[in-house]
Amino acid sequence: MPDCKPTQILSRLSAQDCIKRAAELSKISGSDEVDSRSAHRVVMLLGSRGVGKTELLRQCFDDAFSASGDTVPFFYAFGPSFAEPSSLARDYFSQALAQFIAFRRSDPTLIDIADEPLAVIARAAPAEDYLHVRSFVDSFTRAAESGDAVLAGRCAKSAPPKLAAQVGLRSLVMIDDAHLISDSEFRSEFLCALAGNAVAINVSARYVLTGRQRELTRLIGNEQRLLDSLEIIHVEQVNEDHLKPLLLRRAESLDIETNDSTIELMIEQLRGDPFYSRAIIDAAAARGSLKTFIEFERLYANELRRGRIGHYFDAMLGEAAPEPGSARAALEALQLIVEAGSQVPIDTVTERIAEHISDPQALLARMHSRELLDLTLGFASASPDNVLSDYVRVKYAKEIAGAATPMAGDELLSEKLKQSYALMMSRYNRAIESQLTQLLIRFDSQSVPASLFDQESHEKRYRGMSRVTVRRALDEEPERVRLPQIVVLNDVGSGKQPGVTWQLLAASGFEGGVYTDANEVVWLIALINSKEPVDLESLGRIDQRIEQSLRAYAARQSAPQCVRWYISKEGFSAIAHERLSSLRAYRSTFAHLDLIQDHLTKLALEVERRPATEFELVIPIEGEAELIAARTAEQIARAADFDTESINQIKTALIEACINAAEHGESPDGKIYQRFAIDEEKLIITVFNKGKTFGWASGQSTPSVAAQPVKGARGRGLQIIRALMDEVTFDRTDDGSRLVMVKYLKRPGNQ
Amino acid sequence: MNAAEIKSRLVENAAVIYPGIYLNQLRGESIETQCQELLAGGIRNIVINFEETELINSIGISILLGVIESVNHSRGTLVLSNLNASNRELFEMLGLMSHVEMLDTEEVALAKVSGRVETVM
Repeated sequence: MPDCKPTQILSRLSAQDCIKRAAELSKISGSDEVDSRSAHRVVMLLGSRGVGKTELLRQCFDDAFSASGDTVPFFYAFGPSFAEPSSLARDYFSQALAQFIAFRRSDPTLIDIADEPLAVIARAAPAEDYLHVRSFVDSFTRAAESGDAVLAGRCAKSAPPKLAAQVGLRSLVMIDDAHLISDSEFRSEFLCALAGNAVAINVSARYVLTGRQRELTRLIGNEQRLLDSLEIIHVEQVNEDHLKPLLLRRAESLDIETNDSTIELMIEQLRGDPFYSRAIIDAAAARGSLKTFIEFERLYANELRRGRIGHYFDAMLGEAAPEPGSARAALEALQLIVEAGSQVPIDTVTERIAEHISDPQALLARMHSRELLDLTLGFASASPDNVLSDYVRVKYAKEIAGAATPMAGDELLSEKLKQSYALMMSRYNRAIESQLTQLLIRFDSQSVPASLFDQESHEKRYRGMSRVTVRRALDEEPERVRLPQIVVLNDVGSGKQPGVTWQLLAASGFEGGVYTDANEVVWLIALINSKEPVDLESLGRIDQRIEQSLRAYAARQSAPQCVRWYISKEGFSAIAHERLSSLRAYRSTFAHLDLIQDHLTKLALEVERRPATEFELVIPIEGEAELIAARTAEQIARAADFDTESINQIKTALIEACINAAEHGESPDGKIYQRFAIDEEKLIITVFNKGKTFGWASGQSTPSVAAQPVKGARGRGLQIIRALMDEVTFDRTDDGSRLVMVKYLKRPGNQ
Repeated sequence: MNAAEIKSRLVENAAVIYPGIYLNQLRGESIETQCQELLAGGIRNIVINFEETELINSIGISILLGVIESVNHSRGTLVLSNLNASNRELFEMLGLMSHVEMLDTEEVALAKVSGRVETVM
């Protein structure tokens, strides 16, 4: 990702604290669009509360400003203070003017002159812009003095794109807290301006709106002209990979001692929210230490009660419930929903708070729009924000339930400490589950070393070897497991008992990439996290659930083949291993998952690594066309410096590959395709057709020659290919088969 | 598929067959037919000279095995000669050595089938 903006102007985060979101910035500015004229010109930036939408707009402004390119940025945040349309128009116009002049003079400090009289602002314009800036000011002043608020508003709203257009530039208009225009007279005028912009040909402007997402979507409503040109960008929570180093850097800059696991707990508990995390770290600055879970939980509890996080929620509640009595009603409603832990009928909630407020429905609607709770189809449920839930518990206990304050310590602290271990465990389980999921998605008929699916065999072969040595040795391992191609992955349950948790997955797909009932396969996978090797008792419990799934699959009309795969962090006890062996189940450890992942990555890289020179040849399946292929191979191999013996071997192998493709391919286009690729050390010949099964026995997922020596001409053909070439692999492709043969150059040092 | 033309010649009580540049199914079947005709005509000593043969495919080899079997069944003698290194390797790999004798030149092969010389393989 590129570095953060070069100059901090509107951004509230320094370069050090900046969360890099290059992809989102590029989408917002429209810089990734090929044709800016035909691109969407009204963009809505949606994302949950606290996800960083405002900061993104501010960073986007800074980027465009610093670039001094063909885009004039304009940022405006609506606020509740300009309820009166003429004041709003005046403020909007002043900001547009000041930011335009600041941009033209490459002087961000001029943005601050927006509060000055318009004539003063205009005088700051560069000489070449002064006349048209002055004319804009005169037009607006006349409109404002006419007393026609609509005219003044229209004049203000059109100012950013028109000012930019006057000097041949495009405008990027970014509106924050756009939901606040929903209640003002400004709304329809503003929407008209946006919709007009969307279809205007001569004004090159891009509008980006953000704010509270639930209210924003209501704001757009069914304005059809706007919807037609609307682009929506969803802003997701910051990736932990970016957040963690950011938090560690911030802690370091504040001289706070911390460590990875406490930061990870913080990210987990605060759901990766940068605002909450920064609040905790800043609070830790006074103590200088954030090394232990208890230090973090103590700070967290304090932050909820008396810190920035608590004040933030106090302010949100105050906004949603400004009337007397409504704050209590809001807190009662939140407490009811949080404690329920599931959906609560809205009627139940309104009944509970009716005694404190006259219009409970309106209060709930306001809370919903601020994402304090969720209202869906007659039910209310808690926000997914656990920090809000904790705040509600603390606030309710203190201010409504009147719970006695402990003489020392903190009940929330005690509760959070108890949860922290489980939280980190679930985090670890999620991480390994995610790793497995990503791995299964990559299963695509590759062959992998068999010992990675047999813990005992792996230990016997590789005990005491370093990981690097094991990786190398795995490549030489003759026994292989052919993976299926996975197309569907389902969660089929989970369970736990003291010291052991497990997650069950069903990965469905096809063997050999052959999409038939006979080749359908389901891998039932148990991912087991335990402190000790899994014993027979735990295995029995896990097996109960697996057996249920097996029965369900067996009951299907065309029952797929089922394969069991048990993956345990610490492996299996001898007796458990024996049982799994008798079930012919695969058994691996978490470490094996890493090795499988490495192996698949290596295979993928080998496929991607394209040789320096490639030739392609297509021959018809007729007569002695394979001779043409052999002649071509001869020329290529000779040019690549192969010796005569190797050239003859290559030709013979290629002849056999062509015959095989012609005989068994059932090729609909009657052609055999060949690709010859040469690099420094080898010649790779790929022979493929658009038929069904060449090189593969019907109904099998692996080539017949791999399993046993064959008799008969075709068996001889494959035997010849394998004997004469250094590497031979068969693959299914979506519409045919592919045989890849490799011959290495026998150069000194390349044996 | 038309039969391929296969060169051959008679030398006293033996025949020499030249498979040509590429021994495939077509040429293999032609050789098979020629051998059957020779056997039917009382010629039981046959040499197949591979001097010009650059490539041999597995179908050709399968047919050749059938020919070897037919000649043996007719109490005749079949010898292969002038194999290049690659083709010899191929035959060795597929185990033809145990079914048929391979000699370096046509002359030695003819002498062998005529019973005039002892050969060293």
